[in-house]
Amino acid sequence: MSRNTARRKVVASLATVALAATVAMVTGSVSASAATKKLTPQTGGTLTFLTHSPRLDHLDPTRIYTGRDLAFETAYFVRTLVSFKHVAGPTSTSLVPDLATNTGVPSNSAKQWRFTLRPGSKFQDGKDITCADVKYGVSRVFDQTVLGDGPTYMINWLDIPVDKSGSSIYQGPFSSSAAGIAAFDKAVICSADNRTITFKLGMSVGDFNYLLTYPVVSPVQKAHDLGDKYDLSPEATGPYMIKENTSAHLMLVRNPNWNKSSDPIRTPYPDQILLNYGLDQQVQDQIILSDSVPNAMSFDAPLPTNLKAFFESSSFKGGKLNEDTAFVGYIAFNVKKMPCLQIRAAMYYARNAKALLDYAGGPTYNGSYTTSLTSPLNTVDYAANGVWGPPNPDWKPEGNVAKAQALMDEAKTACPSEYKRVTTTGVTIDVRQSSTLTDTIPINKAAFARVGIVVNYNPISAGYYPTVMNASKQNDLSNSGWSQDWPNASTVIPPLYTPEGGFDLSQNTGEAIYPAFHAAVLKAIGTSNRAAQAAQWKALDKQAAAQFWVLPTLGIKTQVVWGTGVQGAYYWLPQGEPDYAKLWVTK
Amino acid sequence: MLTFVSRRLVYAAITLLIVSMAVYAIFAILPFDPAALTCGQHCTPLVIRANRIKLGFDKPLWEQYWMFLHGIFAGRTYGVGSAAFHCPAPAFGYSFNDNMCVTELLQQKLPITLSVAIGALILWLIVGVGLGILAARFKGRWPDTASSVFVLFGTSLPVFVTGLFLLIWVSIKWKIIPISFLGYVSVFSDPIGFVKLFILPWITLAFAFAALYTRFTRASILETLGEDYIRTARAKGLSEKKVLRIHTFRAALAPIVTLASLDFAGLIGGAILTETIFNLPGIGQWTLRSVYEFNLPVVVCTTILAAGVVIIMNLIVDMLYAVLDPRVRI
Amino acid sequence: MTSLLEISNLRVSFPTDDGDVHAVDNLSLTLNAGETVAIVGESGSGKTVTSLSVMGLHNPRSTKLSGSIKIPDGDQVIDVVNDDAEKVRNMRGRVMSMIFQDPMSSLHPYFRIGKQLAEAYLVHNPGKKEEARKRTVEMLDLVGIPEPAKRAKDYPHQFSGGMRQRVMIAMALMNTPRVLIADEPTTALDVTVQAQILTLMQGIQKEFNMGILLITHDLGVVAAIADRVSVMYAGNIVEQGSADDIFYRPMAPYTVGLLNSVPKITYGEKQRLQSIAGQPPSLINLPSGCAFSPRCTYIENAPAGSCAATLPDLVGVSSSHVSRCHIPESDRPQVFSHVAGGK
Repeated sequence: MSRNTARRKVVASLATVALAATVAMVTGSVSASAATKKLTPQTGGTLTFLTHSPRLDHLDPTRIYTGRDLAFETAYFVRTLVSFKHVAGPTSTSLVPDLATNTGVPSNSAKQWRFTLRPGSKFQDGKDITCADVKYGVSRVFDQTVLGDGPTYMINWLDIPVDKSGSSIYQGPFSSSAAGIAAFDKAVICSADNRTITFKLGMSVGDFNYLLTYPVVSPVQKAHDLGDKYDLSPEATGPYMIKENTSAHLMLVRNPNWNKSSDPIRTPYPDQILLNYGLDQQVQDQIILSDSVPNAMSFDAPLPTNLKAFFESSSFKGGKLNEDTAFVGYIAFNVKKMPCLQIRAAMYYARNAKALLDYAGGPTYNGSYTTSLTSPLNTVDYAANGVWGPPNPDWKPEGNVAKAQALMDEAKTACPSEYKRVTTTGVTIDVRQSSTLTDTIPINKAAFARVGIVVNYNPISAGYYPTVMNASKQNDLSNSGWSQDWPNASTVIPPLYTPEGGFDLSQNTGEAIYPAFHAAVLKAIGTSNRAAQAAQWKALDKQAAAQFWVLPTLGIKTQVVWGTGVQGAYYWLPQGEPDYAKLWVTK
Repeated sequence: MLTFVSRRLVYAAITLLIVSMAVYAIFAILPFDPAALTCGQHCTPLVIRANRIKLGFDKPLWEQYWMFLHGIFAGRTYGVGSAAFHCPAPAFGYSFNDNMCVTELLQQKLPITLSVAIGALILWLIVGVGLGILAARFKGRWPDTASSVFVLFGTSLPVFVTGLFLLIWVSIKWKIIPISFLGYVSVFSDPIGFVKLFILPWITLAFAFAALYTRFTRASILETLGEDYIRTARAKGLSEKKVLRIHTFRAALAPIVTLASLDFAGLIGGAILTETIFNLPGIGQWTLRSVYEFNLPVVVCTTILAAGVVIIMNLIVDMLYAVLDPRVRI
Repeated sequence: MTSLLEISNLRVSFPTDDGDVHAVDNLSLTLNAGETVAIVGESGSGKTVTSLSVMGLHNPRSTKLSGSIKIPDGDQVIDVVNDDAEKVRNMRGRVMSMIFQDPMSSLHPYFRIGKQLAEAYLVHNPGKKEEARKRTVEMLDLVGIPEPAKRAKDYPHQFSGGMRQRVMIAMALMNTPRVLIADEPTTALDVTVQAQILTLMQGIQKEFNMGILLITHDLGVVAAIADRVSVMYAGNIVEQGSADDIFYRPMAPYTVGLLNSVPKITYGEKQRLQSIAGQPPSLINLPSGCAFSPRCTYIENAPAGSCAATLPDLVGVSSSHVSRCHIPESDRPQVFSHVAGGK
């Protein structure tokens, strides 16, 4: 599943708005000037980050899942078995070995994967990292009640039986039955020399090794595991370790037991990394704008009101990025409640996407109209599906009232009872409570009213996703968003369109085409030929788009700004963040 | 005196008990499933159910409340097996958002809030009462006019405006007191660092409060000066200076003690804006965030703290009054 | 007899936004040693303003004073109106003292009375703490406080009303003043206590040969201790004379009205009280002519129009008994005859 929390924050700070987009991709990335890039990186100094968040979402490797946390923590103190390449540009999405010596050896139609650990890698306490530590680290995700929030692919993929309720019989290291432990021991196997780990999967997973870029598969010493409290002070395997973790800041210093010879990826430059929590956003922006702390980088996008000062004024001398993210906003149709395809399609065409994007501040900083559920940043799997957005000649940014009306007229005879409900009592949309709703709801109501559709809103102020994921509480439509976990639509299409993927808000299993669609999804997951797999994902995206199981809204942009003392920054596509591993400071 | 204090402490305990029940009741009637708030976008029903059992939300409300009370005196253990951990008494619960026992967190945050509140209190009392005395002493003349300008600004500028102004200009742009990221330092270990860290928050709060206190002190002194006993003091042939110093201030400042102690209690409950602007992770910031996150144990704890401080401050005021005013006997 | 206080042509006014408030107009009065002079009048007649002016306790920023208030102090004579404020302050509590109507509010609630008394002494005898303490006990004893040394450690609220006024008197006596100004000294007290306080004042007066300026609206008190009386109305003295003159031979209609409004203890049938009709005038816009004329029941006995035209002079056949009235003095006993012979 996705990096929900941080992405949610992005959406919220961008005014939760946004929802559509003209122009295809606005690729206007503004990066640190070319001149500074030629400087030789310097070692030493303190690199400072500023955030208004009260803390990182998680430090425990099993629980890290949000993009910013992943980029930050894997750059500094958590090593994973494999890693994305730390370079600028699209090649960054390819895999390189990290703690492992290779990027994984699949066998048995990608149902079995083998990784060998690199010698010389140690924990922060000086102990060698062994296969048993990795296996223990993997076991932890199975206890979702203690160590929640991390990616749970492993629970679905490992060859471990499930009980009647559908839960894995293995419940993690803290409270498992003997049978559960035995099943886990059969699925994750360490070699006699404790250096090679083998994963046995219950299904073919061609891109299994991408999951290993996540700290959820990383070594944890059983003797040091503190359960929930491990989140405060996880043991470092990277070049930095945690010195202080308070409500004011996270301070990282050099890890004496890390050595460059066993780490092919990281070259630590600063002596110290200081991440400061809880700043007022205006203060944060002013610190960077006035270059008051030259070695500081802002961890959050600037306030919308400050964007011009950063991006359109020559007085700001620091660095900046304005980039597309892999985040895609959408509104899920609850197909069980809205089975009429004509009405779903009519809502898509009637929606005034342009007004909503303009309200959000326009395409320069806020995003682009969605053309596929797969993000354009995933260059392998992305193709405009032809149904959504500009490539469809019937689609218009401000809404195509004629087309929508024609669909509604069809619906009048095709699904009369639903037509009556939609045009009288109306449909209800679940949305997260937000201050922008007072402005966006009238825009939406007016747009849908053009074809006689009545919409009601159900703002939910706490526990949004648990509420809408509860089938008994979900209404006709639910606002949502998603970001790929790695550049493979296997982390988008299965989660969003199949229940076992874990985030299917569309309730689409009763649809006529669903059995065939589901089989095709399983086939695509198991396809290890990447080009063939990509073709299958593109077809599935197109097929699902034509069914309007979701109503796509906007691809989101992000901005990053930093002071004049921070050097070496570039946009790192795998997590949609600057590549923290390459930053250095001049002063 | 001893009976008075002990009786009042019993009342305080009863009040706090009722406050804690009220907070529990309020959270119980809110239309949220607290277990569903423990995880995010991929919160499966299974995980929600497991968390509900782990946190005791499956139990009847009275039993949850009983567990809470029991934890205060006996500590509380969460989780099972090797993942279990214990919060020693007095345990106000466990904050899953912070991965720490609430009491532990309170120990971190209270010194910060106390530092903000005590420093600001001292500053605003000096400035506010001082200006109030000047204004009353020179009523209608320029010190009175000048202080009324101060009062106008102090009462009309919101804390977030003065706070942001000070922080952005004094700290960030002019770098007179450069912004510090080193976190809380105790006054005992690093007095200079302590003052640097807190001086702007103190000024921000004191500016707003001092204005009120100037006005209040001035009014109180002028009112006291109209008392018959002041006329008596003058009739004795006392100089005006002595009339003010000996006869007026003590009587005029007694109500300020009440006001100051309640304002102080309010700040302990949370100088939310000031703590937020200056990023001081104290009680106020913590409470605000916890309400936002529906973090029940923290909200219960900070509510009880706020109520407790108000009760204790009232007790102290009553005792101070007994010292100040011989007519009051406790 | 030595004159202790000589007020000549005192005028007191308070400037306000609506015009000047003429609280006291052209008042002259003398107080001799061993003598009690009463100023009588309704509220707002200017009697309290007069007493505060004598003490120099008026607010110099909001009060306009003219005339003179002369008080001898040793070799020199101080003019409260025209002399330096510091000189006047130095004299307060030493040469002239004052006691007030409400002893509860006039004593500082926060201080022990011993301290408050001692302070009165120490102001004028700096540093003499031991003497102050002794004097305090002595004075408390003198005014009839039992166990004075012990009670000196008590706070005002621990005393009864009468005892508090005794304490106030003791405080006023700390420096053996020549002039004691008593502003309604018994008004707030129980009737039985009133008599005790008045007796005490008389005793003290004898002992110290003081002059007492008594400010009151209570004719009973006046009758009890006053030697001479000045009746004030709307800032003017309307009649001045010996106590006997005032009570038995009133010459001003206002005095007559005052006397008539006093309840009398008589055997037999009950007498109706006769109040003075109307309200005292505003001191900002005084009626032209005689200020009392709008309320005067005898106006037709005066030459037509005279009351409304001019303020009558303060004159009399005898220079010791003067009054303001347009009715010829010879007619007045006849006109006022229904006054039943004073008290």
